[in-house]
Amino acid sequence: TVGNKIFHFGPCRVSMSMTEIRSGFNTIKANIQARDPIRTLSILSYPHSLHKVKSSDRCCVSHQLFNFYVDKVFRHCRTEDPYINRKISSIANSFLSIRRNFQQCQEQKNCVCDQESLEKLKQVLENYEGLNVTAAAMKALGELDILLDWME
Amino acid sequence: GELYCSLPNPRNVHFESVNMKNVLHWSAPEGMGDGVLYKVKYSVYGVGKWIRKPECRNTNRTWCDLSSETSDYEEQYYASVKAFLNGRCSDWVETARFNPLTDTKIDPPMVSVSSTEKSIAIILTAPEKWKRSPERESVSLLQVYPGLQYNVSVLNKKTKKRWFFSINNNTLLVPWLEPGTAYCVSAQIHVPTPLLHSGFSKEYCISTLKDKTA
Repeated sequence: TVGNKIFHFGPCRVSMSMTEIRSGFNTIKANIQARDPIRTLSILSYPHSLHKVKSSDRCCVSHQLFNFYVDKVFRHCRTEDPYINRKISSIANSFLSIRRNFQQCQEQKNCVCDQESLEKLKQVLENYEGLNVTAAAMKALGELDILLDWME
Repeated sequence: GELYCSLPNPRNVHFESVNMKNVLHWSAPEGMGDGVLYKVKYSVYGVGKWIRKPECRNTNRTWCDLSSETSDYEEQYYASVKAFLNGRCSDWVETARFNPLTDTKIDPPMVSVSSTEKSIAIILTAPEKWKRSPERESVSLLQVYPGLQYNVSVLNKKTKKRWFFSINNNTLLVPWLEPGTAYCVSAQIHVPTPLLHSGFSKEYCISTLKDKTA
């Protein structure tokens, strides 16, 4: 598909519709981020930026973060605006198909996290569960560009 | 100063960014202009504290260059402005979250052209990222956006025929042209993701050499 990008994680390859996700997010970014009043905490970047993740762990951390968004975030991101909801659903569907693409890497044992990265993922969940679920989901959704910037 | 701030707020507080030169802009409170002074602070998203910008303290300008403070494009930022007049103050007014990587505008590339009898060689140079001082090492936006591409337009001035090329590297040789003819070249930067593109550069015109055998 136009705008699909192939990510190489060692021998494993995952196709992602980055342009589609990015353009969907760009249209709702200001609206979603305006719903997040908490400046002092970042779910993905606290206390350490994703950029600190070792390149050997990028596959596993990316995969686990896609699981996090599909399993925990998108389902709590309903708004009063149908247009915004449609854009969120479209992004969620893209994440669902990307997660399936990661499955092959998982089966080929090319997507393994070491202890340090497991700590990072644990911290993300702690940051998320430290807030009430709607606030946490909106904050995580508003941080999608942090995830996409890091991945690219 | 006042305990409760009664001055109208500054308006339209936002970042204007070109090649990651990130300048905070705002408009004076409604119906006010002369004599209003401002304070500015900024914060890194996800980090607790607000940091004052001394160079923009009690300024009467309606902009403040925060390029230095927002130069790490792996971070995201907020900035905020407060107005003062005759002992009265306004509330702090914040920007939306600012992501230098996706929210900057990119200048067109520099274009240099040379010609032979039947071809034109084009060399393109991406703009540099803003830097604190001229002595500092330059960072090309090509390093910031590894997927950066160029769209190139070549116009035959005689026939008005135009070609478009999309290239990843920064050189292009256009062959099989007519000798002794003027061609004009213009180029644009395109970053597929995060989706960014510059305007087209101005046109650079050059003539192919005359055919010596004619």
